[in-house]
Amino acid sequence: MIVGAGPAGLSCALHLANLIRKHNASGAKPELSAENIYVLEKGREIGAHQLSGAIMNPKALAELVPDFEKSAPLDTPVTDSAALLFTQKSFYRFPITPPPFQNSGNFVISLSRLVKWLGALVEAAGVSIFKEFGGAELIYEGDGIAGVITEDKGIDKHGKLKDNYAPGYELRAKVTVLAEGPRGSLTKQLVERQKLDNINPQTYGIGIKELWEVQPGKIKPGYVAHTLGWPLSTKTYGGGWIYGLTNNRVSIGLVVALEYTDPRFDPHAAFQTWKTHPFLRHLLDGGKLVRYGAKSLPYGGWYAMPRNYVDGGLIVGDSGSFLDSQRLKGIHLGMKSGMLAAETILEALKEDDTSGRTLKVYKDKIEQSYIRKELWKVRNFHQSFHNGLFKGFVFAGLQELTGGHGVIDPMHTEPGYKAYNHIHGRPAAERFKGDGKLTFDRLTDVYHSGTRHEEDQPCHLKVLDLKICSTRCVEEYGNPCQYFCPAAVYEMAKEGDGLKLKINAANCVHCKTCDIADPYQIINWTVPEGGGGPNYEGM
Amino acid sequence: MKILVIVEQRLGKWNSTSFETLVAAAQIAAQTSGNIAAVVIGKGVAQLAEELAGKNVAEVLLVEHDLLENYTADGYCAALAQVVESATPDLVLFPHTYQVRDFAPKLAAILGKGMIGDCIGFRKEAEQLVFIRQMFQGKTAADVTFVGAAPWFASFQSGAFRADLLEAHAGGKAPVNPVKVELKPSDLRTKPLDLFKEAKASVDLTQAPLIVAIGRGIKAPENIAQAEAVAKALGGEIAASRPICDEGWLPMERQIGSSGQTVAPKLYLALGISGAIQHVVGMKGARTIVAVNKDQNAPIFEIADYGLVADIFEVMPALTEELQKNNG
Amino acid sequence: MNIIVCIKQVPAKDAPLSIAGNWIKESDIGFEMNEPDRYALEEALRLKEKHGGEVIVLSLGPERVKQTIKEALAKGADRAIHVADDRFADLDPLGAAKVLAAAMSKEKCDLVLTGLQSDDHGFGQTGVLLAALLNLPHATIIMQIEVENGKMKLKRELEAGWFQHIECPLPAVLSVQSGINKVRYATLKGIMAAKKKEINTVSREALGVSLEPTQRIERIYVPSKTKKTEFLTGTPKDMAAKLVEKLKFEARVI
Repeated sequence: MIVGAGPAGLSCALHLANLIRKHNASGAKPELSAENIYVLEKGREIGAHQLSGAIMNPKALAELVPDFEKSAPLDTPVTDSAALLFTQKSFYRFPITPPPFQNSGNFVISLSRLVKWLGALVEAAGVSIFKEFGGAELIYEGDGIAGVITEDKGIDKHGKLKDNYAPGYELRAKVTVLAEGPRGSLTKQLVERQKLDNINPQTYGIGIKELWEVQPGKIKPGYVAHTLGWPLSTKTYGGGWIYGLTNNRVSIGLVVALEYTDPRFDPHAAFQTWKTHPFLRHLLDGGKLVRYGAKSLPYGGWYAMPRNYVDGGLIVGDSGSFLDSQRLKGIHLGMKSGMLAAETILEALKEDDTSGRTLKVYKDKIEQSYIRKELWKVRNFHQSFHNGLFKGFVFAGLQELTGGHGVIDPMHTEPGYKAYNHIHGRPAAERFKGDGKLTFDRLTDVYHSGTRHEEDQPCHLKVLDLKICSTRCVEEYGNPCQYFCPAAVYEMAKEGDGLKLKINAANCVHCKTCDIADPYQIINWTVPEGGGGPNYEGM
Repeated sequence: MKILVIVEQRLGKWNSTSFETLVAAAQIAAQTSGNIAAVVIGKGVAQLAEELAGKNVAEVLLVEHDLLENYTADGYCAALAQVVESATPDLVLFPHTYQVRDFAPKLAAILGKGMIGDCIGFRKEAEQLVFIRQMFQGKTAADVTFVGAAPWFASFQSGAFRADLLEAHAGGKAPVNPVKVELKPSDLRTKPLDLFKEAKASVDLTQAPLIVAIGRGIKAPENIAQAEAVAKALGGEIAASRPICDEGWLPMERQIGSSGQTVAPKLYLALGISGAIQHVVGMKGARTIVAVNKDQNAPIFEIADYGLVADIFEVMPALTEELQKNNG
Repeated sequence: MNIIVCIKQVPAKDAPLSIAGNWIKESDIGFEMNEPDRYALEEALRLKEKHGGEVIVLSLGPERVKQTIKEALAKGADRAIHVADDRFADLDPLGAAKVLAAAMSKEKCDLVLTGLQSDDHGFGQTGVLLAALLNLPHATIIMQIEVENGKMKLKRELEAGWFQHIECPLPAVLSVQSGINKVRYATLKGIMAAKKKEINTVSREALGVSLEPTQRIERIYVPSKTKKTEFLTGTPKDMAAKLVEKLKFEARVI
């Protein structure tokens, strides 16, 4: 049972199906079947919830689908890799693009399209993918898990059962693979309950993306630029990206680490402001917004990787921290982790032993693979920037010279939500409005994410104590949820003398930022009725 | 060009969209040197035919038969097929009503022809008539032409033409010519039973001069009070699009659109309504349309006189305040 | 009761439309079951549950419509007929109905259900035309279906809150109104079972229906405004103030 039909989950499914086919063909016993592999996907379509820039290193795909170049929907190979430093009025291109930003040999892709294609291969191999079903709860057994319970459907917003009520299914499996992406809801539960955390807690960033159609000639397909500097301060870790696609389309976005100190910092507004830079203004002039999306990313790297094996369970992909935060590459590492999980599972099924002891082989395989090689080198990278950009460059530079060791190894971090300073009565600045042509307000952007949910269902964002929102949070942090949510889900509405939290759950784009960045950690993102959420097809 | 307009009545009362179709016919006739024959069908409708004869038509065809007293698709198709065959028109026009949707395509098919339904307009290009209809729920328009020989069948959407532009007959009265049709009871396979209204309507939106309507953008029933506050400050009635009434947030009698009321008030304020075709047909005839929607590309703006691209939850309280100030 | 439900696959409601001639660019947009047809399918499944029999799904279009057919099978339809046609968008309503009628010709069915209209073309004629071609009685905008002794009592919706009961014999063709039932979710079992259910694919050419349109869509376009919309700008408060002024002095409605 694989929860999540993203690149990691689908790679696991496809690789396992292929391995099983070879296993059966060799006459080995016991005979296994790919039809016993099930994938759950909460989105309406395969690829609907997949969001990334994206630039993909094809090495994992080449292992999984050797003739991928003939059939995979790769938009364009990277033709030019630039690193740009933005100032408010101008920009500077590094004469030599620093190695982490060099991308020749890689492809600019739409992750959603790639995953859709991969999904077709997975289904053709006999695996069942259940769309519109999410993993709501884990079935615990012993030291690990015995399966997953899917979400209830057909309950109205007051909790009453509707005509078409369908309770969630209890699905038991010999091995459950959690491939939920960044801040997976089941993964979060498992890590907490079984204390799977590593020496560092996981830290995250938020990526906000827009897909534009621009005037012909504005950008070359395969032109890839990463920007540093304006409008982010030296204390805020993050940067922008500009990827040229074919057909006059361009993917742009801003990533910001969710460990900034000003609780009223608004990542969406920062992204919109970034678009007003002359470089982007020129690029987007006369163009049209096509799609919008936002998603979190796991920045913690190697030292934040949870124990990824338990009795009956494995964790792959972004849920398992397989992102190289220096090079911003997670797709191939996620896919590879899925493939290594598949190999582990085959062995376990052969021996009919899916205990943690047997599944531990997964961890060993990771340590022996290029996953470790790549992530080990940058194991302290993100943490280096804790004290600002300049110190970060120094630390990172030293790490480059010492194979990742740097000055301190390991560099410890705190979870991002602990970084906020109190507002001490400082009044809030005016909210960003957008001009409707180049820049947009949140609501307009959300409209372009294609997000929809069944309106009449319970709110899937569970806030453990609403009183905190109206009292402590108003005073201490000024209700940062209104600012960090890129989909205008959270609002503080006037109620009597004070403020009350209003949740527009239907706008949710499933980015998980609220679950990550809420200072009191009282927001729990749970899976809504399947099929709901954004529509990132083609993005 | 000879044009036949099938006019609709039920229980001796006109469906007023029919008059809009007569106006459309008059415009087509003017551009094609054509003439119009209006067709009245039913039983005991001679009086209505006389009334129609006072309008700007060349003749009125009165089609009466016992079996046409109550509408049935079989009855109407059988009778009108005979009328079309004997009158040999080039163009047969209908108002796009629920009833027309039920029989007109079949009538065309019986005669081996197609029907272009729910048109919002037409134009003449060289020697050809191009009919304009909406697609993708109002997001786009489409130019459609007939292929092959006459007769051609088309229906016009309610509100596409202005019934008040229908002129009186120039010389007094048009001739009313009865047309004999053959019908047997066995021709009618369905049997119409009782007509009834559901939920006593305590408000008649068709009589309200000022209407404030809410759509999906209102998001929750608790928010309706904000719109009702605007309606109260305006002195108008609250109304809604279909989804709101489907949810039970407002009673069905407040619904505006193809399955609710059709209204033509002085002012129609659309709050959080996207402008899907099913709703727009119910309010296109309003004299002044104000639309508030956060999506600047929402089709509702196509028909609005005043547009506010904004969040209704910010506009509603502000508007209530301004209206109250205006009331003094 | 053996029921045939005609289902159309249409571009997803929120898909950004990119016009190309007399249709739209199909790359990068999602497709889904036409919403009105979902209610027709649900009604068919409920009738089957009550009276027994078989529900057959019929759909016309290119290969991608199989996805929507599978959804219908997953919800409980027993088998499906897919009329494969890449040029379905060139068919006029009468042509499409002729194809569907030909595809159904060998089936012995009691009832044919369709949705009221499609969310893309929106012709709203398929049910009525099928009735004409199959020479069956029909009714449209149906809110309720009761079957007793080989006959149906139907509740039909009219304008302005009026309704009518109609007696209709079987077999017949009905166009079902949207919103008349709560559409069920596909179950996991249903999704699995759907894989084994029969989808009989037949090409339009094989049915012997020729492409002789009675009408042609010349082009699709975004309508240019006949009314000039005056957009009010500023903060919501500004907009409200300006609006009241305009309504008072310009439009003179208050």
